[in-house]
Parts: sequence; C-alpha cells; structure tokens
Amino acid sequence: MTPELRKNPPQPLAPVSFDVPKPFETTLDNGLRVIIFENERIPLVSYRLALQSGDVNDPDGGTGITSAMVSMLTEGTLDYTSLQLAEKIERLGANISASASDDFTIVAASSLSLYSAEILHLLAEVVLRPTFPEDELDLYRRNTIENLKFQRSQPGFLAGEQAARLVYGKHPYSKVSPTAADIEKLDRDSLATFHASTFVPNNAMFIVVGDVKRDEFIGEMNELFGDWQRGNSESIEFSLPPAPGARTLTIVDRPGSAQANIVLTNLAVKRVDPDYFPLIVMNQVLGAGASSRVFMNLREEKGYTYGAYTRLGTKMLAGDFEATAEVRTAVTGDSLKEFFYELNRIRDEKVGDEELADAKNFLTGVFPLRAETQEGLTNLIVNQHLYGLPEDYLQTYRDNVDAVTVEDVQRVAIKHLRPSEMAIVIVGDAEEVLPQASNYADTVEIFDTDGIKQDAAKYARADTNEAADVAGTWKLVIDFQGQQMPVSLTLEQTVDSVSGVLETMLGNGEIADGKVSGNKLSATAKADMQGQPVDFTIAGKVDVDSMSGTITAPIVPDPLPFTGTRQRHDR
Amino acid sequence: MSEIFKLPPIEIEEYSLANGLRVVLNADNSIPVVSIAVYYDVGSRNEREGRTGFAHLFEHMMFQGSANVPKAGHFQHIMKAGGTMNGTTSSERTNYYETLPADQLPLALWLESDRMLSLAVTQENLDNQREAVKEEKRLRYDNQPYGQIFDLINEMIYKNFANSHSTIGSMEHLDDATVEDVQEFFRIYYAPNNAVIVLSGAFETQTVKDLIETYFGDIPSQPLPPSLDVAEPTEVAATYKEWEDKLAPFPAFLIGWKIPPRRSPEFYALYLAGKILYDGDSSRLYQNLVKGEESVIQLFGFTDERRGPSSIFVGAIPKPEKDLSKIRETIMREIHDLAVHGPKTEEMEKIENQLVNDAVRMRQSSMSRAQQIAEFALYDGDPTLVNTELDDLLAVTSDHIRNAVGKYLNTENRALLDVVPVGKEKKLTQSR
Repeated sequence: MTPELRKNPPQPLAPVSFDVPKPFETTLDNGLRVIIFENERIPLVSYRLALQSGDVNDPDGGTGITSAMVSMLTEGTLDYTSLQLAEKIERLGANISASASDDFTIVAASSLSLYSAEILHLLAEVVLRPTFPEDELDLYRRNTIENLKFQRSQPGFLAGEQAARLVYGKHPYSKVSPTAADIEKLDRDSLATFHASTFVPNNAMFIVVGDVKRDEFIGEMNELFGDWQRGNSESIEFSLPPAPGARTLTIVDRPGSAQANIVLTNLAVKRVDPDYFPLIVMNQVLGAGASSRVFMNLREEKGYTYGAYTRLGTKMLAGDFEATAEVRTAVTGDSLKEFFYELNRIRDEKVGDEELADAKNFLTGVFPLRAETQEGLTNLIVNQHLYGLPEDYLQTYRDNVDAVTVEDVQRVAIKHLRPSEMAIVIVGDAEEVLPQASNYADTVEIFDTDGIKQDAAKYARADTNEAADVAGTWKLVIDFQGQQMPVSLTLEQTVDSVSGVLETMLGNGEIADGKVSGNKLSATAKADMQGQPVDFTIAGKVDVDSMSGTITAPIVPDPLPFTGTRQRHDR
Repeated sequence: MSEIFKLPPIEIEEYSLANGLRVVLNADNSIPVVSIAVYYDVGSRNEREGRTGFAHLFEHMMFQGSANVPKAGHFQHIMKAGGTMNGTTSSERTNYYETLPADQLPLALWLESDRMLSLAVTQENLDNQREAVKEEKRLRYDNQPYGQIFDLINEMIYKNFANSHSTIGSMEHLDDATVEDVQEFFRIYYAPNNAVIVLSGAFETQTVKDLIETYFGDIPSQPLPPSLDVAEPTEVAATYKEWEDKLAPFPAFLIGWKIPPRRSPEFYALYLAGKILYDGDSSRLYQNLVKGEESVIQLFGFTDERRGPSSIFVGAIPKPEKDLSKIRETIMREIHDLAVHGPKTEEMEKIENQLVNDAVRMRQSSMSRAQQIAEFALYDGDPTLVNTELDDLLAVTSDHIRNAVGKYLNTENRALLDVVPVGKEKKLTQSR
C-alpha cells in the first residue's frame, strides 16, 4: 500500500442493517406477563423471572429484607435442600442466580437448550417454594455481616456509600448497604411473609430468550406457574432531597491510601425522563468512554489517572450523575480543577458538530455488539420491559439517538450538571487530600472508614503557610481584553524568596523582590519597554504545577487575569 | 451426553502473508459484527532484568499514535465507528482487539497495520503513559486489600526470572524505561512474523483477504526474537512467606502449586480437579468451608495457564476467629481424598455438562472466538484446536484426575502465602 493511501482512514464497506425483532408477549390468567424471544442461533436458553420491586420496597425497620429474601431463594425449597439444589443445577452445567437491585428483583437461569425443561422446573421451585431454612439464614446473617466489614476495606465502596447519602438524602436510594444491626434483625418468619406478599404474578414478568418453541413453552409455563396466586402490588413514592445550594467536600480518611478516589455527583434524572437521550449523548461526549473529554484530559494529557469517567445512574424513581477517577494523591487538587473545567466547558460552550456525530455514532454503532450474546440480548429485553419503555424502544433507539442536537446537549448539561452544588467525595489519606481539595468546596466534612464523622480541624496541617515550590519555568497566558497573550515566567527560589525573569512579546522584566507565602506568589517585574521603565505586579496562586492570578501594569487600567502551567522540571 | 450434543465446528481458514504474518479467518454472518484480534508473541516473560513491567508499558504506547494516527486517535477512531477496543498483557502475550459493526472492518485493519508499521514513540508520550501505568498499578494492586498476593506467590512458585516476576512490574523499573528501550522492543517483537491476526464475524472472505494484503503485506519482517528459556525445576522457589498488608481487614492465605504446561494431559486433569474443588456452590471446598465448617468469608481458586510451567491456586479469607491451619487441613484433606479415590461419578457428569456449556457460550461472541483462536494459533501453531479442545477435555477420565492430583497437588511442594493485616492503628502511631 502506498504511503499516500495510508494517510486517511478508509471508507467503510456497505452497511449491514441490524434489527431486533419484537418478542411475542402473552399473559397467563393469574396476571403473569410472559415475553418470548425465539432464537435458534445458539443451543442455549436464558430465563428471567423479573419483579418490579427491589430494595426500595424494604419496609420501615426492615432494611435488607428484600436482598436477604432473594439470596435465600436458592438455599432450600419444599423439595430440595441447599446442597441438592446446587448439585442439581450444576450437574446440568447450568446456572440459577437471584439478586435484587434498588428497583427490581431478578431470578435468572440459563442452560444448554438440551436441559431447558429441567432448569425451568428448578427455577419455578426456587421462585415459588422457598423455605428459608433457619440454619441457612443463620449462615447468611453471619456471612453478610463479615462481608459488610470486608467491603469497608475497599475504597470504591466507601466512595459510593458517601455519594449515595449526599445525593439521595432520605430517599431509600441513599442506602447502598444494610448495617450489621439490620442483618441481625432478619428472621425466618418475616422473610417467608415478605416473600408471600411481594412474589406475586401480577407484579412479575417472565422473559425467555433462546432455543425454545413458543407453544410448548407456554404450556410449560401454565403447568409450572399457572397456580401461582395473585396478590397486591402497590407502587410507592418517595420525595427527593431539596437542592443542596452549595458545593460540599466529604473526605473518607483512609490512612496509607496509595490513591485518592474522587467522585463528583449531583441528582440527575430517572430512566424514563424525556431528557434521557440528550443526556446519554452529552455523557458520551463528556466522559462515558476512552475517547471522551475527561479521559482525554485527565489520563491522556495529564497522566493523573488510569481512568477518568462520567456516568449516569438512571433508576426507576430518580437518578444521579457522577464523575469519577482514582488519582495519585499528589494531584487530587489538580484533578478537581480539570473535572470542573470539563463540567463548565460542556455547559458554557456548544459541542462541535463532529464531536456530537462521533458520540452518536458510538451509541448507535455499539448497539448490535450488545445483542451479540444471548445474555446481552436478554438484558436489553429485560430492561426495556422492567422500566416500562415503549414497545418499539429497541427498534427506535438509533433514531432517538440520532435526533439529539448540539443545542439539546448544552441544554441538558446546564440543567443536569450543576458544578456549583455538586458533592465532592474523596476517599484517601485525609491529611494529604484536605489541603488540596478544601478550596474547591463551601463546606468540609471528614469521616473514617467506619463511617464515623471526625473533627476536621485535627486534619489541618500546622505548616499550611510553608512556601510552595514555585521554581521552574511557567508558561502563562494573559487575557488582555479578550486577546490571549503568552508570557513565560522563569523563577528561582530560596526558601520564600523568589527571583527570575518575566518574558513577554514586548520585552523582558527582571524579578528581584518576589515572595512566596503558602501558595501565594507576589513579585514585581521591572521591564524596559521602548526606553520606558515599566513595573508589572504579579499576584499568583500556585496549585502544584498550575498557577492563576493577575498581572497589573500602570499602562493598563485593570489587573489582567492569567492562567498557566509549569513546564516539566526536575524536582 | 456429548454423543447427542455435537457442536457444529467453528469455520477456520488460515494462511500466512509473505512477510510471515499469520492470518486466521472465522467467517460467521449471524450478527453483523466483526472482531479483530492481533496477538504479538511477547509478554512479561520476555522482559529482561531491570525492566519488569515493560511489556505492559509498551502496550500502552501502542495507543499513543503512529505515522498516520494521532496520539489517542485509536480510541477516537474506533469509538466513533461504534466499536469497542482494548489491549492486555500477560506473561505469555500482548493482545490488541476491536469489535466493530461489520462495515467498519477496514478501519480496524488500517489502525492495526499503521501501528505495526510505524509506531510513533516520543519522550512526552512515554512519560505520560508511565504515569497512567503507575496509576493502574496503584489502582489494581497497591491500593487494594490483598491486591499484591498473586504477584508475591508467583515469586515463590517460580525460580526462573522469566516466570517469576510480575507483569505490572516495579515503579523503579518503569521509571528506568527509556525511549530507546521502547524503540528496540518495537523492532524486536512487533514484527509481522512475530504476530497472529484473527478475524471473526460477518465478512466476505475474498474482500477481507484483499484488505489484509493491502494493509499488512508491505510491513517488513524482522529477524526472529531471541529464544527464551522458561524451564523450571519441579521444586517451588519458596514454601512459606508472611506478607503484611496494611489495607487488608482480615487475615487470608493463598496456596500455589507448580504444574505442567497448558494443553498437557496433566494440566487438563488439574484444571478439572480445580472445578471439582472450588468451582460453584456444589464444589467440595465450598460445601466444606463456606457451608459445613462455616469458616471462610471468601473462597477462590483458579489455574494460571502458561506455555511453560503453569500453576494452580486455592485461597481463602477466613472468618476472623477461625484457625487458618485447620482450614488448610480441610483443603489438603479434600485434595488427599481426590488423590486416593478420584472424582465421583456425579462430579464427572457435572464437569462434562459444564465443559459443553462453556464451549457453547464461548462461541456466541465474535470476540471470544477470535481470542481463543488467536491463542491456539500463536501458542500451538494450530487454530483448529479451537474445535477439538472440548474433545480433549472430555477425554480426561477420573483416573487421570486422581493421578494428577496425587502427583502435583497432594504434596508439600507448594507455596503458602499468609497475609497478615497491619491495620490503621499502626499507621496512626507512626504518623502522629
């Protein structure tokens, strides 16, 4: 191939269309919705019994009961013990798992289609006839309590716990995990009663994807689930917290942490919000992937982190926005600066047409990739039905993404990203993190890893007035009435005294009397401009390798703002 | 069971370009998606002393631009085409892969060939990626409880430097890596005759062959890399070590055994022994330790599959008041039982169904097919093994398992790493 041909990316081949057919849907007499997606491509079958209730349905004083009840489904039934169930399922090479999220409960089973009848029978057994044996519940309680302790050693858990509390206030989404006391309270009778009242067919749907025959399957469903008795299914509502009105900083002190885990978050929207499509496009531009702005900035340009991302958590009743990165502790402040720069930029400036097109192309292009495996396809169909999305949701997804405009992106960024009242959560060594981050927030609170609030004063360093290191060459840009004027500032430092030179396009100035106090630099550069002595007064604030401030000269009326960074130098 | 459940073979076509690049095509038009996997025959085992972590640092450099692709342009090009991509480094190989809508196949070939031909290496990019890799090391290893135990136990199991040192490497060695090192590494290992490219998914075979010739045909081959000796004595390098972990909330332990290479009959037998011991809720150790004795919070085990001497691990995080040595006795007792009596009939039936199930699931996605095929092509010179490996595994008998467990696991020739938590109290007395 000639070098010329290599210069530009090649044109794609002829496009191949991809459409997900709509599944067949029916309802059993007891109200159980049955959704069937016949697909013979692979000799596998995936089943999902999905309920529209989850951890948010835990009753008052019963935190953790949904998750416990769901975890116990496979630990004993009328016909089988826990061990018998495990052996029966695994001997088929199959899998049954049950889990609850905030909004939903899903009991999933998958197997070779050869065993589709056996595994369906076992699925019905765990859904309809669990017995919650006392000894298994006792083991669950003790293991869960140990796991609660264990997860407190993981920085990601600690960050998520604080972020949820700060965003959701008293809403049940604020609880990411029950407490040991909640777990102690669980007993067999309440689990059995709770199962009977929430596991009702009129609150459930059954989804099958794979190598099944529709009529045969409906027959099997009637046989196994036809006698399942209806019950009450009530929807619940919770109020969301008021706008915080200020930017807060919450540090979880994890002494000896090798990194700082940063989360910036605010309340956003629920899954069915009309802003959903503009938001996912906006988020793709901003931080969802490895070609998004925050990754390009914090990792590829700055090398602060292995990964920096933004995420939309859109749930049934509410949702949140998060920006996250795990950075080396020394650049915690710098990372916050770059995050807020990107958050402000996507609000203040319209994204470019090409950047918008790239984000939309990604979202529409990966769609068939997500449907490649049976699990992937099943998840798409399950989510569509659980969230109550339109019947043609999977068929119109690409059109909905394509319809988003640059104006939509800016509008939803302004509305749903609110840097001035975000919660900043940082898990790390508080002594190191606090001085770098405190300037970014209106209030500060500090917790230990057990979630106990600490006295913030004891983390303040005695030596905060120690002179920052400003030595080196700084490339600064002065904003001169809208014109960007580059200047260079080369400094030498002895304790808190600074000397050096300011180089501008108009001439150079010697600095003789510079001072550093804490992170503040003050200096006067004596320049000679066309025979006239001119004094430039520099007032800068240093944040590791970045500096911002003003330069004042008698020839211009107002101080000129500048920002810039230090060139790499040996320290 | 396997008699009534014959899997259709994965279609394989293999050939080489004149420059030595090995090509494997697996056409499957069921979903309009295509995956490309490029595997280079270089991993951490090829690193020299003083440069640990280099193969992985180099992998990052492969995303930093080439003659016609700007820095980070790889991410941008793939994502705006609706694709996904990544690269990973292991002891054995470094791989790069993309999955794209089928019509975007030429893009992936252009990107992969441009960096194979003309990787751009600058001091600035090296410095930047060095920092990203250090953060990756902190994130995955240094800042996680128990994050370093697998690297530590490899140093105990293996005596040969090629096998024993970690893939993520040391901070000092990362600092020492120079632009010249990167350029030399590229020249030696990133040659077409040291690589395999696999395409799996929806494409028209002749079109693809033409495209591959166009993009890769003119990349010059290089002298073969220096030969590598990964031979090991059968003894492990160290049988016991205590590791103080300041982030761990509880004690834990990890046992590791040195075992024969991947695809050997003994390796297959031990892989299946592992399934019987620790895989799933019906496994012996889960039923004994998590249920039964109720002595552990977490139980885990796996095999580390290598071309040379490989390894198998069992580890546990016990409950706080439990006696670690009693838990290890239980583990060794089950191993002893397998070595004497072999697996039960039900266990063999379970394994058989699980193997078929795993094989079917692997076939679903173009990327998992491409990766499996690439490993067989690179390690064994025979991509069609993807179609026969299931038979090789199903041919393992309970006697094979009994004998292999007796020879390789039921022995004192194993490494034991004890993790001792040194909590925050210690840190507080040090710092204030």
